[in-house]
Amino acid sequence: MAVKPPHTMLGVSAVRAIEGLLAPAGASRGELDDAALIAAIKRSDPGSREALYHRYKRRVYGLALRIVGPIDAEEVAQEAFIRIFRGLPKFRGDAALSTWIYRLAVNAALSHRTRRAGARLPTDDGQADKAIEAQPAEEPTRGDAVLRARLERALVRLPAGYRTVIVLHDVEGLEHEEIASILSCHVGTSKSQLHKARAKLREILAADGITAAELEDG
Amino acid sequence: MGSVAPSPPRPCAQSTETLSAYADGDLPPAETQVLRAHVADCPRCTVSLAELRAMSAAARTLERPEPPPTLWAAVEGEMARHDRPWWMSLRLFGWGALAGAAAVSVIALGLASWRTRQASLTLPTPATAVAQVTTVDPLLNEAEAEFARAAAAYERSIEKLRDLLQREEPRWSPAERARCAERLAQLDEAIATSRELAHRSPGDTVGNEQLFAAYQQKIAFLAEAVHRGGTFREGGPPQ
Repeated sequence: MAVKPPHTMLGVSAVRAIEGLLAPAGASRGELDDAALIAAIKRSDPGSREALYHRYKRRVYGLALRIVGPIDAEEVAQEAFIRIFRGLPKFRGDAALSTWIYRLAVNAALSHRTRRAGARLPTDDGQADKAIEAQPAEEPTRGDAVLRARLERALVRLPAGYRTVIVLHDVEGLEHEEIASILSCHVGTSKSQLHKARAKLREILAADGITAAELEDG
Repeated sequence: MGSVAPSPPRPCAQSTETLSAYADGDLPPAETQVLRAHVADCPRCTVSLAELRAMSAAARTLERPEPPPTLWAAVEGEMARHDRPWWMSLRLFGWGALAGAAAVSVIALGLASWRTRQASLTLPTPATAVAQVTTVDPLLNEAEAEFARAAAAYERSIEKLRDLLQREEPRWSPAERARCAERLAQLDEAIATSRELAHRSPGDTVGNEQLFAAYQQKIAFLAEAVHRGGTFREGGPPQ
């Protein structure tokens, strides 16, 4: 693959250049790419931070959005990326980069919720969620988009702990071992929290009139 | 848990949690076997299991949303500040004020020196003095009037934001209110200093720009405090 030096490009092209640099012939992508990207960031290679940002931006922002809601998602994602870039020089690779990034993003989101809860006195855990629910949501009119929108709203109504686990497992597709590492808990705790979260989610969906048939058709 | 429920219509006691664990293969083999047999005979559990599986499948189809385009710029800006040498991050506004003060002083000294030299070179006759007044003063007055109008506009904006803030503040904790008051006092001091500098050289662009920068800082801080509640960023408004 012909690769131009990353410093000659900006934005997406820089990202692509970095991506290209990180994919030597015959090498498997994934962890190797991340390792090379980390090395590039540690060397302060131009465009390397932006490359990492673009690789993980949807995961980090999506997680922030689902944990803290649309009002604060951008602030939390910003905080998460700052923690990521500040922490990268000390990242030893004990865990996969993605797991480490998820951990920082979850921590940023949960500490944001804690700060918010502390800032609003008297408070309860439901305050932030009420604010999330109060957001005007674009309501799709047809098919699976409707179902997804209702599912998103049902997720918002879960307690934050349940929501975090179910988003990490069922939405993001992480394994319990990764979730346990992210949340600093036992694998068994992650599993039991997930099953409780699903039970609660099913209750919420049922109250919203969503049936198994609709879910399957969606 | 794990007992085989009787056939319907007798109510089934299986919890959704257990069914979820069964669906994921998280139950011990013995319990799995018992529950498998139960589910085969229990329409209610069959439906519940189908719902759980469909729910997880639907969750997997949720998209990862694209962040707003402003996110990278914000991250990059923050990291640029973080990457600066420590001495450059000392109270940015303080440096700005010092730079502004220095620029004003230089201009004021330069003007004074130039005027002295001009006065020593050519003493104006009454006629030329009148001409100078009529040609220079209107421009100066116009510039001063412009600056005064801009300053008034900033003051009005600040006033409105102050009103909004007063409505918000009762919801904050005492610590947040104190932090906000402290920061506002700093900003007010910066404005007062800049105003004094600007008044020393009326019509001077540098001095007034410094004042306007101070106004803008205060507006940015107030806007953020109103928008974010008591959790505005520590250390002041966004730079």
